[in-house]
Amino acid sequence: MSSTGQPFHQALAAKIFHGVNLVSLLLMMTSGLQIYNANPVFGGREGLPIPGLFVLGGWLAGGRHWHFAAMWFFALNLLGYGVYILVTRRWRHRFFTGKDIKALQSSKNNKRRSYAWHRIVYTAIIPFLLLAILSGLGMYKPAQFPWIVEMFGDWQALRIVHFATVPIVLIFATLHSLLGLKVGGDRLINSMFQWR
Amino acid sequence: MLTSPFSRRRFLQLSGISGTGLLLGGCSLPIFEGAVGRAFEPLNQRVEELLFNPQKPVPEFPLSAIEPDRLIINTFRSTPIIEPTDFRLIIRGEVEQPLSLSLQEIQQMPRTSMVIRHVCVEGWAAIVQWGGVRLSELIQRATPKANVRYVYFESADDYYESWDLRSCLHPQTLLAYQKNGQPLSIENGAPLRLAAPTKLGYKQSKWVTRITLVNQLLPQRGYWEDQGYEWFAGL
Repeated sequence: MSSTGQPFHQALAAKIFHGVNLVSLLLMMTSGLQIYNANPVFGGREGLPIPGLFVLGGWLAGGRHWHFAAMWFFALNLLGYGVYILVTRRWRHRFFTGKDIKALQSSKNNKRRSYAWHRIVYTAIIPFLLLAILSGLGMYKPAQFPWIVEMFGDWQALRIVHFATVPIVLIFATLHSLLGLKVGGDRLINSMFQWR
Repeated sequence: MLTSPFSRRRFLQLSGISGTGLLLGGCSLPIFEGAVGRAFEPLNQRVEELLFNPQKPVPEFPLSAIEPDRLIINTFRSTPIIEPTDFRLIIRGEVEQPLSLSLQEIQQMPRTSMVIRHVCVEGWAAIVQWGGVRLSELIQRATPKANVRYVYFESADDYYESWDLRSCLHPQTLLAYQKNGQPLSIENGAPLRLAAPTKLGYKQSKWVTRITLVNQLLPQRGYWEDQGYEWFAGL
């Protein structure tokens, strides 16, 4: 992990999945917060709205148009990524494992510990992205998927979970960026964002 | 140390600039939202129509689950006062048997009661009991012609809506005159309003006075739809 080690290499597919995920997730979050403002999850019409700086769409119908367009890119990209890691067997070495937990418990090597933390953080993002899709589908089509609403208890619980995925994913994405910089520096960042 | 064309500082600068741009752009993109809607709404509508089964009832709730305080009254203009004795429901358009029904005649038809979740486009929802007559029975009584595909609803307050015929024939699409075990209040749409678990709240017109069966949609598709909201609006 030193800054003069061999160059990092990311497969082109991984770069595309990562890039599409980042952009579509931003669109999902900002348009979702626009929808939130029509009736804030906390406090209803008297609740605090999200500042206009962070919302996309201009009004409720516009926010919905963006949300239900970006959902296809976001969800299909994640599905494509899932198929990709299964087919290429990347799931066996790209996500955190017992080895990382062992390293956190016993390793004296700070670099190895940061590396383990980073793997835990970026692995943990994925279940929250899936949770966002599941809870969102339950709110989008509650008459077609009543079992999803049931799973979360009631409508308000479903709304809270769907909303909560925004701050959770933001926190994990921030940690992922910072830890990525810490363990791989510019070269790791470049390897993920540079076209070549 | 390898020199990188893309330093950490540069990366942070760029991500800051593009992030701010995206966020700033966020509040001022009313031009794109219409284009995005026009581009993706046909696809979304196809998926909604595929998901929707006009024969399959949506699971209902027990009476104890009713949330009387959750149903917010949303009215686009003013509340019309309708004399129940003067009221007529007109069913016309592409039908063999146009109808003009009094409230009494409608209430003598078989009554259906359902406890369902009413979902508003704004994001809130309420579990409500509705009692009324199945829209499908009224439509069948008027004997629609074979080419009918859409149904228009006109309300006493000039609100208007259009639905696909399949959704109108769903067994839980009612013209309701009862809410939570009580006669429907004027604010909630008395004497007659649409109620259905399969459509967003703005599709469920209150104070319905005229139903017109047609074979194609007009340029006007509904009060909120004409401002940019989704037309199918299925749940």
